[in-house]
Amino acid sequence: MAPPRLIEHGVRVGPLFFEVGVKIFRVGILYSTTGPYGAIGRDCRAGAEFAIEELEKAGSPVRIEPVFGDPAGQPERYLDLIRSMLRDEGCRNVIGTITSLSRKDVIPLVEKYDGLLWYICPYEGFEANENVIYTGACPNQHLIPLFDYMLPRHGKRVYLAGANYVWGWEMNRLARELLMRAGGEVLGERCLPIEETDVGLLIADLERHRPDFILNNMIGPSSYAFLAAVKQLAARDPAFAPERCPVLSCDLTECELGEIEPGVAVGQLSTASYFESLASFENRAFKQRVAARFGAGRRVSSFFAGAYAAVKLWAEAVSEADRDDPASVRGFLHARPRQTVLGTLAIDPRTNHAALPFHLGRINARAGFDIIASHGAIAADPYLVGTLPIQHAPHLRVVQ
Amino acid sequence: MTRTPNFVSWRAAILHRSDDSIERLKRQLERLGVTVLVQWKPLDLAETPADIVLVDADQGWDDLLPWDGDDAPVPVVALLGSEAPGRIAWALAKGAGAIMAKPVVAASVYPALVLATHAHHERTAVKARIAGLEERLRLRPIVHDAMRSIMAAQGGDEDGAYRTLCRLAMQRRLTVEHVAAAIVAGHEPVPRAM
Repeated sequence: MAPPRLIEHGVRVGPLFFEVGVKIFRVGILYSTTGPYGAIGRDCRAGAEFAIEELEKAGSPVRIEPVFGDPAGQPERYLDLIRSMLRDEGCRNVIGTITSLSRKDVIPLVEKYDGLLWYICPYEGFEANENVIYTGACPNQHLIPLFDYMLPRHGKRVYLAGANYVWGWEMNRLARELLMRAGGEVLGERCLPIEETDVGLLIADLERHRPDFILNNMIGPSSYAFLAAVKQLAARDPAFAPERCPVLSCDLTECELGEIEPGVAVGQLSTASYFESLASFENRAFKQRVAARFGAGRRVSSFFAGAYAAVKLWAEAVSEADRDDPASVRGFLHARPRQTVLGTLAIDPRTNHAALPFHLGRINARAGFDIIASHGAIAADPYLVGTLPIQHAPHLRVVQ
Repeated sequence: MTRTPNFVSWRAAILHRSDDSIERLKRQLERLGVTVLVQWKPLDLAETPADIVLVDADQGWDDLLPWDGDDAPVPVVALLGSEAPGRIAWALAKGAGAIMAKPVVAASVYPALVLATHAHHERTAVKARIAGLEERLRLRPIVHDAMRSIMAAQGGDEDGAYRTLCRLAMQRRLTVEHVAAAIVAGHEPVPRAM
């Protein structure tokens, strides 16, 4: 495995010149920039690259020589690319994967080569691996606070739409459980293949059931087609206007609003642990730096900000540890909370998950989000061991 | 599955020699809110109560778990590296409802707990159901005796006698078999017309 390259370097502070050693580590950046979730992958990669550039500019004692891998949305390519990063390219850390399918696929290799995967996307939970740092939200940080907000305000008669894979299935399952516990009702549920854009049956089902709101766990083109079809439905039936029957997503961000026909999704809601419109000091400074680098029109999504924050967290931990093996990086990451563009971020040593704030945003006419509700950092509970009321043993009902 | 399985405050007994893989398993169980005991000696549930047992099926011997499959008092997970049919048979004979392949990977732990617990409850429920059915089968001659007494008292047919018996069972909130036994034993007067 390639040792980090060491280059001699100096830092001038006023009249003083300090000699420092700069260590350069190879880090894998594994995102699909084309394919059904290409917009998300491009933003993740751009955020990581921007942070890597900033490490250079700021004279950080640790630098990244990125090893890029682009599986182009083809599940089987993730394995070859990450194997090469970990086995041949000298990477101990890889920032990457978007879908749970790909994350689950690469984890055995990450474990085998004792690497560290940085996963920054919201996901359906039920995972905690010592070789993964999770800085994306799990359901007690997105779906549960979303329902806590929505059920008292919009009603408990809900329609569940999802993508036909684990994100859609598990989010819908949990939504059903939350509704059952709250005395609500699932009016209907439909899952579409990931790239399906024919949403006619789904819309017909909605018209028949007339829910209080719609949970949208579809991704990419299906999700965009669905939002466009709901807009048309609302034009002929005001009961489906966003203020009366909003469509809620837990993963729709600024980076995808550009992919949707302008104005189509205005008024619909999404959750995130970061929105571009956050008024924090860190975020204002961050957006100024982004604008200076990419131009004033560059949108920033939670994927861009999340990958950026992951690189910065990596740099802090690696410069403190002076090495990049998973045990050392984890140890320093767990040691104390850190300031990031997502806010103060603590990684729980028990779960390797970040405590994250919750924001609910409403899509505005400027392809951004107006934040309508927020909650301070929520500790991640990936297996929902403390979030849902406990049933005492025997806790699994035998289905007759 | 309508409810999210939750293992908070459960106690797990891992019967395995301690090594890195077992330490990783222990930490993963603790992430799920489970308290863990690791030992490599026969389990005594009276001394160290456990809600679930994870046992080394590669090296486990019969006395390690003081029960046979059908009588396993708690869910059992087999920790298995071997593919030898004999070891798989041993795990089944000890009541294993799920297998975790060795070396244990984090992602196998929660699913194995859910499967083993489900299998255990299903087996317990089926056993209770079979016991109930066997009891009813055993009491069938007594039901016939009671029906004959009712037919004699009412002068009716079998169907009428059975309906009478069912009505009486409902009124007394007892099973048909219990009411029949009470009639045959003379604790309950033979119903005439109802």
